[in-house]
Amino acid sequence: MSDCEWLSDRMPVVALGRDAWSADEVRHLNECESCRREWEMVEVASRLGEEAGLSLDADAIATRVARRLERERHDVGLRRRAWSFAGLAAAAALVAAIWTGGMESRPLDVRPSGTEVARRPSIPLPELETLEPAELDSVLQTMNEPDVNGGEGDDPALNDLNADELERVLDSWEG
Amino acid sequence: MPGFVTPDSTTDPDLVAAYRSGDERAAAELVERHSAALGRFLYSLGADRDDLEDLVQETLFRAFRRVESWRGGASFRTWLLTIGSNILRDQVRKRKGQLVSIEGRDIPDQADPAADFAAGEAEDRVRQGLATLPRLQREVFLLRAQEGSDYGDIAAALGTSPGAARVHYHNAVKRLKELVR
Repeated sequence: MSDCEWLSDRMPVVALGRDAWSADEVRHLNECESCRREWEMVEVASRLGEEAGLSLDADAIATRVARRLERERHDVGLRRRAWSFAGLAAAAALVAAIWTGGMESRPLDVRPSGTEVARRPSIPLPELETLEPAELDSVLQTMNEPDVNGGEGDDPALNDLNADELERVLDSWEG
Repeated sequence: MPGFVTPDSTTDPDLVAAYRSGDERAAAELVERHSAALGRFLYSLGADRDDLEDLVQETLFRAFRRVESWRGGASFRTWLLTIGSNILRDQVRKRKGQLVSIEGRDIPDQADPAADFAAGEAEDRVRQGLATLPRLQREVFLLRAQEGSDYGDIAAALGTSPGAARVHYHNAVKRLKELVR
């Protein structure tokens, strides 16, 4: 390492007052214009912005930083609580879904949907196919007549018939 | 936070450890110790004087928020200064090149040698010269010239090698010598 490089590396610590030039180094500085110029520049740079830095109010900055950190901790706490609450709510919803899902799987309503009916194989009733629209309408009307006895859908009169009588009734319907 | 007295012998790592374990006053002491150097460093990097207090505050806030990431590879101050430098760079990006605004300042007539040596003028010229350097050169130079940081400390903070930091320093010196002539 040359004298110039040696001096160059030492300049910052000397400029900051952490060390001092030796007699040999001072001699070199007096003789070497390049090193002298560098030394002047490093000296200026080491003091650069000193006044700007010292003009800052460290106490005020510390107070504001502490306030911001406190506010952030508070916000983080709030967010954590919100997430915990959301987690609990989600868990509760999941439990409820599983619970009611089990109940829904039971056959509460066995009536087939329209799609299901459409999918079922059609039962041929050739006798009805031969009817005129007006006659078919008349038959359907008799089937749709409300149960005046307040029954639950099944015709009580048919329930009272024995097998032979029932067969005869059906025969009469089919012509 | 103010009003807390810490013995000078308490090291930065001690204070950081105290802050990590919940001692808010340790943070106040760290702010007290480093805010002036941080302000000086940011000003030298080209920060506007009016923005200095906000920049210092933002730097310290972010540093304490992620203090867990400081592992002691670089000194606390060097680590802090590099955070400040990143924040300043982001601000400059947002403002689209305000860093070069110091080039627009009145610089003394270079033909007048007497004016050249006036302290304020010399500072302006060095600051203007610094603004023309690549970022790494500028940071390495200031960390060394203002803080007296060794190359190992600088390298740890900037994510480079001590040898590379030395090269950056000497390149910066060479350019500044030409610019500030």
